[in-house]
Amino acid sequence: MKIEKLSTKEEITWCPGCSNNGILQASKEAIVGLVNKNKIKAKDVTIVTGVGCSPKIFDYVNVNGFYGLHGRVLPVCLGIKNGNPKLTVIGFAGDGGTYAEGIAHFIHACRYNANFTMIVHNNQVFSLTTGQATPTSEKGFVDGSTPLGIKEKPLNPIVLALESGASFVARGYALDVPHLKNLIKQAIAHKGFAFVDVLQPCLIFHNTTPYFQKNIYKLDKSHDISDLERALQKAKEWDYCFDKDTKIPIGIFYKKRKPTFEEQWPQLKKPWYNIKREIDWERIIEKFK
Amino acid sequence: MEKIILIGGKAGQGSALTSYFIGKIFCSLGYYVFNYRDYPSLIRGGHNFNVLRISDKPVYSHKNKYDIILALDQKTIDLHQKDLNKNGFVIGDKTLKAKKLCSIDLKSILSRLKAPKILEADILVGFLFKHFGVNKKILLKAAEKQFREKAKLVKKTIEEGYDLAKTKGKLKKIGPAKYFISGNEAISIGALAAGLDIYIAYPMTPATHVLHFLAKRQLEHNILVLQLENETGIANAAVGASFAGAKVMVGTSGGGFALMTEALSLAGMSELPLVVYLAQRTAPASGVPTYTAQGDLKFALNSGHGEFPRIVVAPGDPQEAIIRAQEAFYLSSRYRTLAILLGDKHLGESNYSFDEIKKSPIGNQRFLLKNPSKNYKGYQITKTGVSPRAVPGQGPFVRATSYEHNEYGNTIEDPDWIVKMNNKRLKKIRHLVRDIKKFNPVTVYGKGKNLIIGWGSTKGAIIDAISELNNFRFLQISYLSPFPKEKVAKEIKKSQKIILVENNATGLLGDVIAEQTGLIIKDKVLKYDARPFTPSDIIRGIKKL
Repeated sequence: MKIEKLSTKEEITWCPGCSNNGILQASKEAIVGLVNKNKIKAKDVTIVTGVGCSPKIFDYVNVNGFYGLHGRVLPVCLGIKNGNPKLTVIGFAGDGGTYAEGIAHFIHACRYNANFTMIVHNNQVFSLTTGQATPTSEKGFVDGSTPLGIKEKPLNPIVLALESGASFVARGYALDVPHLKNLIKQAIAHKGFAFVDVLQPCLIFHNTTPYFQKNIYKLDKSHDISDLERALQKAKEWDYCFDKDTKIPIGIFYKKRKPTFEEQWPQLKKPWYNIKREIDWERIIEKFK
Repeated sequence: MEKIILIGGKAGQGSALTSYFIGKIFCSLGYYVFNYRDYPSLIRGGHNFNVLRISDKPVYSHKNKYDIILALDQKTIDLHQKDLNKNGFVIGDKTLKAKKLCSIDLKSILSRLKAPKILEADILVGFLFKHFGVNKKILLKAAEKQFREKAKLVKKTIEEGYDLAKTKGKLKKIGPAKYFISGNEAISIGALAAGLDIYIAYPMTPATHVLHFLAKRQLEHNILVLQLENETGIANAAVGASFAGAKVMVGTSGGGFALMTEALSLAGMSELPLVVYLAQRTAPASGVPTYTAQGDLKFALNSGHGEFPRIVVAPGDPQEAIIRAQEAFYLSSRYRTLAILLGDKHLGESNYSFDEIKKSPIGNQRFLLKNPSKNYKGYQITKTGVSPRAVPGQGPFVRATSYEHNEYGNTIEDPDWIVKMNNKRLKKIRHLVRDIKKFNPVTVYGKGKNLIIGWGSTKGAIIDAISELNNFRFLQISYLSPFPKEKVAKEIKKSQKIILVENNATGLLGDVIAEQTGLIIKDKVLKYDARPFTPSDIIRGIKKL
């Protein structure tokens, strides 16, 4: 399979130079890589998107797709896996949708551990609605809805995912496509819920590129990805603020094979397309006599 | 023969189970039984009661004048003694105070048998059936069937009560055993008959019993029954599962339904089948959680932003609930859109008796393409507005979307396409209108110049009332969307007096009829004290007009 097969004819409506293109490219390369190694089948790949800038990716990748509602990517992914556990499901959403509108679903998705991937385009701002703060905007961030500045410290989604029981937790950087592609590949290949928070500077409303270029470093083999305590320490190195230079680790923080949601429900071993539904009506109504 | 029995006590004393058990025994003897449950929102204490109406003729409602009260506490007597019929009496413990009490020393019987307090009620059951002259063997067999491994002690307590009573009648088996079923059970088995794959819900009275019923049988039927984090997540997950090809139902009451509404709109736009069971309870807001109402009709009809086709169908009794659940799945799958099964606490939690329980011959088709072509267009414009449906994994890529889209499902903002796709979706309504004609969207009961109009769970009380009223027909409207306006208008126009009967405060169906037919109904019998109608409520209401 060539990467061109994953392209569509739709016009890309992200701003010129938008870092979402990095996530698009990395995702396509990851899918092609896994298809060519027979790890997944192209016909089973299903992307699920929310509402905002990031979800526009729905129109740019030629696979099965579900363009859902703001904040609801995770329940839709779970529903699809319940409907057909064979499908390779990848969710794409922004930090607003995932950490504000849909935060309850995020915590529970980490607990459920259904076998799908969630990629969050985290630009720490609501861009398509012209630049309001999200739960990951830094303290002091000023915008049209909060001219007096954000008073709270941002939410750390890596810590939240780890504490909520996620079995694969990673952070990528949209402007390092080869590294991100590798992360997404591992996330898709992981059996269980795989979460990748992607730092994705918004050129218009939240341009954090210089800070990221200066401070990002890659977790290397010396980081033990099976050690939850160590993962939490690494996750707390950077607090999603920009007031002082702090090193920002990217890569896999934590990975552990845990029983998946699908594996724990015997019914999902015999999904609807493998059975013929015939009921014994007389037996059902006998109970009421 | 007709007997009305009230069983009351504190929550946790077993009045609901006892009432069901007594009802079941009468059903086994060939009698018709209606069982009404009345309980507050608490776990232990308070006052719960059940009313059983037992008759040798079909009955679909309860009454609030009693022949016998089985009292498990003093409060039951204090509250209900005033409603005893002329020869009525109370059966209960010797410490209770009542005008006419058949008193039993429950405490000493229990301590002799070393039986727990919860079995007090079974002593009363034994007493009751001896009073009616029912053979003890029948009683003990029923106890075995109902209580299985726990039956031994129950049987002993029943026998103790039985031996204390004097026989006043000679009730015998009068015909074949009847089926005894609640609306919630009926919705559940209707969904099974329709080929349900997945049921997702968050606990909420009065829909919870469907969750319990299906969860208990999920392995037997190989269906997935899930309780997820909240109703918003549930409804979105349901649309996702539907996208993957599964037949899905979600169940809730008003408050949970409110949280689901964004996903109803999503089902409409993405054109994915979704069946929602909305069991109404008294609202607004948390309202009166364990009581009944018909206050969400317009909410069901208008929930979800934007314009899209939907099916709203309100069964009036459990037999109808089975059939309507099957129809909801059939129409939702066939037309790729939302179907709402609109019930309420009264239908969901009351037990009704029937000679037989039938399912619709409609089948459980999925309406999916076997081999979609390479150039598959998920939103292809067709004559009926329904695009042939494939699911992901079959080969061609399948794309569903909440955004306005072209035939392939790609996002568009072009005005011509927006109009085309709106027309495509809304065209389905015309075909739905035609299709539901074969499902009897309305039913007329009885004969007469005058007309009562109702929907949903008032059906039972209205049918029982018109047999006592002179010259009244009953028009039951089962399909609220699409609305069978010609048939409704025809019935109204040929009637003299027209009276709307609804379990709400404003007469919501009246508004819908006015909107759909231009006809205004002035006379309304409305009940909005969170309790269901009895036939005499309706008769009294009509006489007062």
